[in-house]
Amino acid sequence: MQRNYLIVAVIAAGLLVFAFVTASSVGNFGITLMSGLFQGMLLFLVASGLSIIFGLMDVLNLAQGSYFMVGAYVSYSFHHSPEMMTVIPNPDLRFLMAVLVAVGIGALLGGILERGLLRPLYARPIFQIVLTFGVSLVLLEAVKFIWSTTPYSWTELFAFREGFFELFGQRFSTYRLFVIAMGFALIIAIALLLQRTRIGIIIRAGVEDSEMVEALGVNVRAVFTLMFTLGCAVAAFGGAIAAPFLGASTSMANTFLLPAVAVVVLGGLGSYIGTAISSVLLGLAVAVVANFVSSPAINQPVWQSLTPMILLILVLLVRPSGLFGKGS
Amino acid sequence: MMQPTRSGWRGALIANWFYLLIAVGLAFLPQIIGLITGDSPFGVRGRPIGQSIFWQGVLIEVFLLAVLAMSYNLLFGFTGVISFGHALFFGAGGYVIGLALEYTELGPELSVIVGVIIALVVSAGLALLIGLASLRLRGVYFAVFTLAVAELFFIFFGRLPLTFAEDGFSITDLPTWIDPIRNRLGFYYIALVLMIVTFLFLRRLIYSPTGAVMLAIRENEERAKTIGYNTLRYKLIAIMIAGMLAALAGILQALFTKKVGPELLGLTYTIDPLLMTIIGGAGTFAGPVVGATGIHLTDRLLRDREIIIGATTIDIGASWALILGILFIIVVLVLPQGIVGTWNRWRAARQAQTTPPPPPSARNQRAIETPAAKSNP
Repeated sequence: MQRNYLIVAVIAAGLLVFAFVTASSVGNFGITLMSGLFQGMLLFLVASGLSIIFGLMDVLNLAQGSYFMVGAYVSYSFHHSPEMMTVIPNPDLRFLMAVLVAVGIGALLGGILERGLLRPLYARPIFQIVLTFGVSLVLLEAVKFIWSTTPYSWTELFAFREGFFELFGQRFSTYRLFVIAMGFALIIAIALLLQRTRIGIIIRAGVEDSEMVEALGVNVRAVFTLMFTLGCAVAAFGGAIAAPFLGASTSMANTFLLPAVAVVVLGGLGSYIGTAISSVLLGLAVAVVANFVSSPAINQPVWQSLTPMILLILVLLVRPSGLFGKGS
Repeated sequence: MMQPTRSGWRGALIANWFYLLIAVGLAFLPQIIGLITGDSPFGVRGRPIGQSIFWQGVLIEVFLLAVLAMSYNLLFGFTGVISFGHALFFGAGGYVIGLALEYTELGPELSVIVGVIIALVVSAGLALLIGLASLRLRGVYFAVFTLAVAELFFIFFGRLPLTFAEDGFSITDLPTWIDPIRNRLGFYYIALVLMIVTFLFLRRLIYSPTGAVMLAIRENEERAKTIGYNTLRYKLIAIMIAGMLAALAGILQALFTKKVGPELLGLTYTIDPLLMTIIGGAGTFAGPVVGATGIHLTDRLLRDREIIIGATTIDIGASWALILGILFIIVVLVLPQGIVGTWNRWRAARQAQTTPPPPPSARNQRAIETPAAKSNP
């Protein structure tokens, strides 16, 4: 266990030193770190649901990005619909409600998927890929049907969306801080749920040995349904939180699925904390490299896009089960 | 799907009458369509148009996808190695042949030959490097590793100015014998022969001692290792052969569309063979071909059609992805081992009811074609 943290510390220290050396000024260094943390948390909002479903349940849910997308669309339309504006005139309260509704719809869709379609497939996991791919196509078409293909950008202002703060001479939306805070809140909430509650103990035991837990009189099937629902609800939550920043578009589902899969594997399957740490590491790495390669002297922005893949490849070659994964 | 029980060529021909019929049928299909519709298989009025030419084009695409899916099946269905980076080899083939034709001064004839050889070497080398990583990486970790490598190349070639980044470049100068415009029928036969040869080659491979070890790795790698097999070596062989076959399909795809671009390296060419293999039946010989044919033909034929039921008109083109998604869901739930896998099982169950148990030799052969449900992460 100690070695994992050592490797994480080495990577993080390396990134920080690299960022400091390549930064044009202290201000630039601070802005890079801020941006990396933000991107990492944004990534974590997508990956956290996948970490539960893919990491703990071993179901590679290709529809995960679609739940993120649905969350964004639902929260957008709830917040922007004229009816809701008259019912809940307070924009802050309306945003809170929008997030709750998005989470509810995500959970509902997730529960339906698990109970209705996925359940017969636990015995042949590879077919889950085809099934969830089919579900992602259906969800995408449903979204196109309901909201059309035009992307929406968030126009309504509310508390966090309105403010700005200044850091090293550059203006940032306070919403970035809000996203970072929500990311941390999600990490702590899910970690507490898994580590400190009875249902969390059952979930972790069910992942280890579902037959044994079933023999102890626990309804493991219901627990798995609950987990899957939770994973989808968390994905929708992420979409709802990200929507004021990213807007809502049909390309969200696929853009964020791959990085999310990469982050979960980077952190190690089955480790929720691993996903959180690797999200932040990846966000930092991308921001640091972006700052370096987009400077006029170098101007090779392609390396920014290559960074996640290179980091993943290197880490897997050193740690074949990811940073915090069990096994080997 | 039975291995010939009688020895000699005659026995093999009789046992494989079904495949033989299909091969002969496909060989004469352009002429048959030409006879029925009146459009010559060589084009109409010297131009590459007409029904026969159109169908040759559709079938060429099917053949190439079938080769790609069969190569994927060697890894996924027979060796139990899950890769999410198969598009890398497909794209490598396309890029190498494109670079050889457009960026060298060898002349078109020599460029094609040199390009194919280099493409095979490059894809085998890439496969070797990626395969070596499987020494340490297992299951999903290996799959995501290959995904990362393939995405790396996809993004890199999508930004590389030399190959015109995401626009890609066109292949302008091709020898007549392999030009899909001037000699569509010739190209059709090249693609058909590639598919048949791939099919026969993979069947030969799986029935060989090497193939037996691959199946053993699929069933239980630890056990195969304990018996004394160097499983890494056999996995490397499987990955390299699959990579080279995928590169061949990629070469012909690039020549057929006369276009080389990063889309050849894209996720589509990983997901498509994966879906085709699973839906057709992973770990069966005919499964990937059936899957490729079924998915691609429905795609090509239904995409732009309209269905009129009573007064309502359903525009399939607009809701095509929806139909495809529902189709995937239904197939997965209804056919638990893919089309061919379920068919084999159903036939085996019927045979078991009507005939006494097969001799031990026949039983061994059936064990080869078990669905790859076990070979999951």
